Amino acid sequence: MAKELTLSGCAAAAQAVKMARVDVICSYPIRPYTAAMMELAKMVNEGELDAEFIHGEGEHAQLSVVYGASAAGARVFTGSAGVGVTYAFENYSPISGGRLPVQMMIADRALDPPGDFGSEHTDAMSARDQGWIMGWAETPQEAFDNHLINYRIGEDARVMLPQFVCQDGYFVSHIPGKVKIPDQAQVDEFLPPYRPGRHVLDPKQPCSHGPQIRPDQGAIMDLQRAQAFLDLPPVIEEVIDAYNRIMGRSYSPWLEEFMTDDAEIVFFLMGAHTATARHAVRHLRERGVKAGLVKLRFVRPWPSEQVARSLAKFKAVGVIETSTSYGGSMRGGNLLAEVRASIYDAPKRPLTTSFMAGLGGDVIPLQEFYWMAGKLLAAVKAGRVEKAVYWAGLEHEDAPAAGARSDGAPVAVAVH
Amino acid sequence: MFDIPKDRTVPFGCVTPAPLEEQPMMITGNWREYRPVIDQEKCNLCMNCVAFCPDACWQVDAADEEVVWNAKYCKGCLVCVTECSTEALSKAYELDFPDGVVRLEKPF
Repeated sequence: MAKELTLSGCAAAAQAVKMARVDVICSYPIRPYTAAMMELAKMVNEGELDAEFIHGEGEHAQLSVVYGASAAGARVFTGSAGVGVTYAFENYSPISGGRLPVQMMIADRALDPPGDFGSEHTDAMSARDQGWIMGWAETPQEAFDNHLINYRIGEDARVMLPQFVCQDGYFVSHIPGKVKIPDQAQVDEFLPPYRPGRHVLDPKQPCSHGPQIRPDQGAIMDLQRAQAFLDLPPVIEEVIDAYNRIMGRSYSPWLEEFMTDDAEIVFFLMGAHTATARHAVRHLRERGVKAGLVKLRFVRPWPSEQVARSLAKFKAVGVIETSTSYGGSMRGGNLLAEVRASIYDAPKRPLTTSFMAGLGGDVIPLQEFYWMAGKLLAAVKAGRVEKAVYWAGLEHEDAPAAGARSDGAPVAVAVH
Repeated sequence: MFDIPKDRTVPFGCVTPAPLEEQPMMITGNWREYRPVIDQEKCNLCMNCVAFCPDACWQVDAADEEVVWNAKYCKGCLVCVTECSTEALSKAYELDFPDGVVRLEKPF
C-alpha cells in the first residue's frame, strides 16, 4: 500500500534503492551519506532486500566493485560524500565510457582541507564532466523520486549512462521530511528489471571491458559519450512524464519555477537551499518585491535552451553558487558560467550575477537572501551588474543607508 | 551527424569481443626498455613466466617442450625475470644496439 513516512534524505534514498530491487550494493562509510548504507545493510540483513551487500575497502574499491557488477549485468548502487567522492575519481570515466548504468548517491560534504563536515556541492561538481548524469534533490521526497527516475533514465537502451544522484549533506540527508512511498507494484510498473544490452558479461560471447584503444580512436570514443548526452533530453522528459503519471507527481524535468509569473528578479539555484529561498521569495513578495526563483534539477545534461527561455522573462538573475571554481572564468562558482553561456545567444538576456553562499555547510539565512535581492534590485535600477561574484555575508559594506531595516531587508524594499 | 572513418570506429562502450588469439589492434612491444632473455638449458618449464605475464607473452610451444616469448606485446615489465624459479631468465637492454642507433617502430 502506498504510504507516507517521515524520512531523512538518506533513509528515503535507501527506500528507493530497495524498491528498485538492486542486485549489488557496495558501501564504505563516510558521513553524511553513510546512513543510507546503514539502512540498506539492515534491509539485507532482515531479508527485506535480496541483494549482494559488499563492504569495500575504500571508495575506489566501491566504484570498482559496482563497475564489475554492472559489467556483469547487475543493477547496482553505491554512494559517497566529500573526499570519498574524489578518492574514487579514477573510476568515473571508465564507467561512463563503458556505458554502464551504475548509480551513485552523493550526499554532499565539503572537501578537505581542512576537514569540514558541512555540505557544499564542490565534491560532486568536481566530477560533473566525467560523463555521468547529475542532479540535486531539494527534499527527501525528491531524493526518493530521483533515485528511481535515474535508474530508468540510465538503463534506457538509448542512454546507458551512470548517474550521480545528489542531495545536500545534512540539510537533506539528515533532516527528516514527509516522503510518499508508492506501492511496490507502481515501482515495478515504472522500473522494470534491468535488461542490459549485449555489451555485458555473457559466457557464450566472451568480451573484454576497458581494453586499450588506439589514440586515433580516442576522439570517436569521446564522441560516443557526447552523442549520448545529445540524445538524452527527450528520454529524460519521457521518463519523468511516466513517473508523474504512475506516481501522481508533477515534476518538470529541467527547471521548477516558483512565483515567477510577473517576477523581475529571481534566484537561480539547486538543492536544499531552495527551501529557504522559497520563504525568502514569499517574504519579499509581501514587501512588494517582484521576486521569484528558478530551481535547476539536472546539472548534466545542462538544459541550456530551457535556461535561456526561462531566464529571458526576468530583469535580473542571482545565481546562488554552492560550489567553488577557483580561478574560473567567473572567479567564483560553476553555475554562473553555465548560465551565462546558456543565455549568450539568446535574443533577450537578463542581467546576471552570482552569490557565493552556503559554502562549507553554512546555512543561507533569510537575511542573506534579502541582501542578495537588494543587489539584484540595484542592478535592475542601474541597468547593469556591479560585479559577477558576491561572497554573501562577507562583502565590505558602507554604513546601511537610511531606511534600511534592522532585519537586513533590502534598502530598495523600504523605498517602495 | 558525423562521418566516422571506418578504420577508426569504436564498438559500443569500447567493449570488444575477447580475442581468442592475438589482439591485432594494439601492438605494445615497442613500449619496452628491457626485454627478457631465456637460457633454455636452465629452464625446467615451471610455468611461472606463463602464469605471471600480464600480457600472455610467454606461451608453451607446439611441441610442449619450451616456453616461447612474444616480442610483439611484451612491454618489458620483467615480472617474468623476477618470478623465474631457476634463474633461466635475465634482462637485456633493448636500446643497446651495436651501431648505437635507437630504432622504434611506429610508436603506436
